[in-house]
Amino acid sequence: MLVEFELIQKAQQGDASAFTQIVQAYRRRILGTISRLIGRPEDVEDVSQEVFIRLYFSLGQLRTAEVFEPWLYRLTVNASYDYLRKGRRRLESRMADLSEQQVMMADAVAGTRAQDDEGEKRRVRDTVQELLSAVSEDDRILLTLKEVEGLSLKELEKIYHVNENALKVRLFRARQRVLKKMKEVTGASSPSAKEDETN
Amino acid sequence: MNSNSSMKQGNPAEGDYRLDELFLAYRQACPDTEGSARFMPGIWAGIEARENSSNWFGRVAKALVTAAVAASVILGMMMSSANHSNDFFNATFVDALQADHVATLEPLHIERISTLESQ
Repeated sequence: MLVEFELIQKAQQGDASAFTQIVQAYRRRILGTISRLIGRPEDVEDVSQEVFIRLYFSLGQLRTAEVFEPWLYRLTVNASYDYLRKGRRRLESRMADLSEQQVMMADAVAGTRAQDDEGEKRRVRDTVQELLSAVSEDDRILLTLKEVEGLSLKELEKIYHVNENALKVRLFRARQRVLKKMKEVTGASSPSAKEDETN
Repeated sequence: MNSNSSMKQGNPAEGDYRLDELFLAYRQACPDTEGSARFMPGIWAGIEARENSSNWFGRVAKALVTAAVAASVILGMMMSSANHSNDFFNATFVDALQADHVATLEPLHIERISTLESQ
């Protein structure tokens, strides 16, 4: 844990500086996690602020130190889920506009390195966002926590309050859907596939 | 191109490998950041705004409850005083009937019976 439980207790009693210290300790981690969960750098700060605001108002319910981090992750997951659900329509239309570019990136990521590093990062983010659009917001967050954040099944169990087997099944299915989408994307983007279509 | 063709042919291991690689690239494309200088002030502003709005709702709710209680007390008192002052509500059913009809009906009955007797 990045902070002592005493600090959390002080924050629970309304100590503003203790709360500020908690935020400072976790802001980097939360900003990073949200950045990967939602894939939109321009909105990461707003969603992260929402997480800490929710933390402030629910801190009084926390009883033991062990649950603090899983609980903070849960707040993060919920805020990201709310963001994704609200922005779904907007995101889908944007994806449709950029699909050709994203499709080309699926090859680029596995093969060549792009000249423009920032442009490549943006295209990677767009590609993964499109692939993750094949699953529900819930599964997309779960998959990102496992595959990108590298959380263990034990950690996910604490966050989701679901047993390990159920998580494994959900992860497997979500991954299969993403793989299927990836296959569609790479298949559509390959020149040989286009040649096949014309023939 | 080889990887694409193997994907098309449905090589699951190749697909898994490529997906893992893509997730890794994604992690690097979304690095940990510290956020801007207005991150913390933004949190406090959000907390303050939410506290103010919850206080406003609390005040409105409290005012509505007080008004509702006051209105019920006033209505109760009005009903109670109206019941006590009006004899109509204290009278029995027969009394009420008498008060309402008997005075007008009795003379008619008497007249009709006397007319019948004379015939």
